[in-house]
Amino acid sequence: MNMQIVRFSLAAALLTAAPILEMASANDFRERGKAAKLSASAVSITPPRDWNKLDIRPGKFAETWTLDGEQLNDVTFYTGVEPGAPLVKERNKKRKPLPKFGAETLLVEVPELLEGTYRAYKEIGEFRLTGSKPGSYLGVKGVEFTYDYTDGDQIRRQGEAHAAIIGGKLYMATYDAPKIHFFQRNIADYRALISTAKIM
Amino acid sequence: MMLSALGVIGAILMAGAAPQSKTRTAPPPPPFQGVYQPQGVDEIGLWKVDDENESKLSNSRAVIHDEALTAYVKNVLCSAVGNDRCNSVRVYIVREPSFNATMSPNGTMRVFSGLLLRVRSEAELAAVLGHEFGHFERRHTLERFKAQRRGTDLLSWAAVLSSFNNNPYARRSFDDLELSVYGSLLRFNRDNEREADLVGLGYLNVSALRPQAAARVWQNLMAETEASAVAKGMKRPRFDRVAYFASHPPEGERAAYLGALALPEAADRPDGADRYRQAMGPWTPVFLKDQIGLNDFGGSEYLINSLASDGWTSTLWFHRGELFRARGGQRDLVHAADFYSQAIALDPLYADAYRGLGLAMIKTARPTEGRAALARYLELKPEADDRAMIELTTASLN
Repeated sequence: MNMQIVRFSLAAALLTAAPILEMASANDFRERGKAAKLSASAVSITPPRDWNKLDIRPGKFAETWTLDGEQLNDVTFYTGVEPGAPLVKERNKKRKPLPKFGAETLLVEVPELLEGTYRAYKEIGEFRLTGSKPGSYLGVKGVEFTYDYTDGDQIRRQGEAHAAIIGGKLYMATYDAPKIHFFQRNIADYRALISTAKIM
Repeated sequence: MMLSALGVIGAILMAGAAPQSKTRTAPPPPPFQGVYQPQGVDEIGLWKVDDENESKLSNSRAVIHDEALTAYVKNVLCSAVGNDRCNSVRVYIVREPSFNATMSPNGTMRVFSGLLLRVRSEAELAAVLGHEFGHFERRHTLERFKAQRRGTDLLSWAAVLSSFNNNPYARRSFDDLELSVYGSLLRFNRDNEREADLVGLGYLNVSALRPQAAARVWQNLMAETEASAVAKGMKRPRFDRVAYFASHPPEGERAAYLGALALPEAADRPDGADRYRQAMGPWTPVFLKDQIGLNDFGGSEYLINSLASDGWTSTLWFHRGELFRARGGQRDLVHAADFYSQAIALDPLYADAYRGLGLAMIKTARPTEGRAALARYLELKPEADDRAMIELTTASLN
């Protein structure tokens, strides 16, 4: 009898907790024209159109925004990566370490850092940097580069990224989308989005 | 049905036990029986599923569509198992930097690029491919499918029977049975691997290649695993223990019994190392880059050093430089600059080596030399993708 009461109260507690849990794990809406802060950092962005922010973050310094789902158009912001830290959370620090951003990392090497991170994290061989040139991000001189790769789902993706090193920390935005149709469809949205990024 | 299942397991156990005997070498393969065709509803079904997988694979971007490389690997397989047998196989080289090769029921062989980087000779490659062919010839996928079905059938009935009996002993008996069935299925898989090793070495013993190479593959892999673990600050791995979930026998055991199964008088046969090196030539830099991308410092350093045992080339020095520069400690960068210089000494027109050298020097407080190296890089590769960034880097040094 006692057991039944315990079970009932446990079920009741779970039922009442469910909406709260659901809210806590929901993805967020980023409304057009409303400034939003990135990963509790000093970077703010005012999206020119509505975006979704995914709740699951790739790492301590990263967060992902998307229009139709991360497999179709994925904008990931890496905000204030500190020297000695990897871009995304390592699956296993000891067995499968990821390349780290370093105090000595040069701007010209940032594309290689992203390449190393993708190759090691996804364990793929098919990744190609297709070009890099001086650009700007957060109003600071930086690097702009492009790449393509084939992910584990065998879909060929194309990417464009903008990065800058500010105060010894790395700030970067990447846009990854399938080469067929999606990359071209939303590249302008990505560029418009990151052009509103500001560091306070 | 159960008795015949036990019979199959028993037979394979015996086949598995045979390799551990030091007095017996692997027997030659039986005469070729003709083209393989699926028999029975299970095997026909497996082949149909596999045909679909193969058509997806053949259009996949993961496959390296290099006619010469694929033909070469297929030839090595044929030189091990004979032309009759190898006609039933289609080889696909998959660009994936791990050590692996697979064979599926309809004769699709996937050879991973990571395997091609790791083996050193035709004989070593033939040993792995012969093992995979052994799985095909003995219809192991079908056997595993049937064993799994038998095991899960048994568990389903046991679940029904134990549910009739509402006491903890029935539940515990079911749990014990479950562990025992899963354990025996995993053991069955390991015995399949042992049998494929035995069959594979049987082919090598009657081929023109050196069968002792098979043990060498596993010795090299153990050394690489150990180098990788040491660089990561982990405990030295054990190669003599069989874990409950292990899909393959431990590497130490395989190296030992493969060595014993090889025909001793065949130790003088050629291993085709020169031909192998030549065939892999254009692909070695690509596979090395993929390997370095895995961020496994110890493993990559081991592989580069082992490739260099036949002599250092500019490609090997360059990739060693890339490996050290990617790790990026100050000491690493000094070493990297040295390795790039060695690459340039062997090939003064190696543009990418100048790039690495320049960047490594800039980061080790040698900007003047670094700028000169980067200028040389742009001179040798005027259309470089990162030209503007390199120019920006050198300009910022002023």
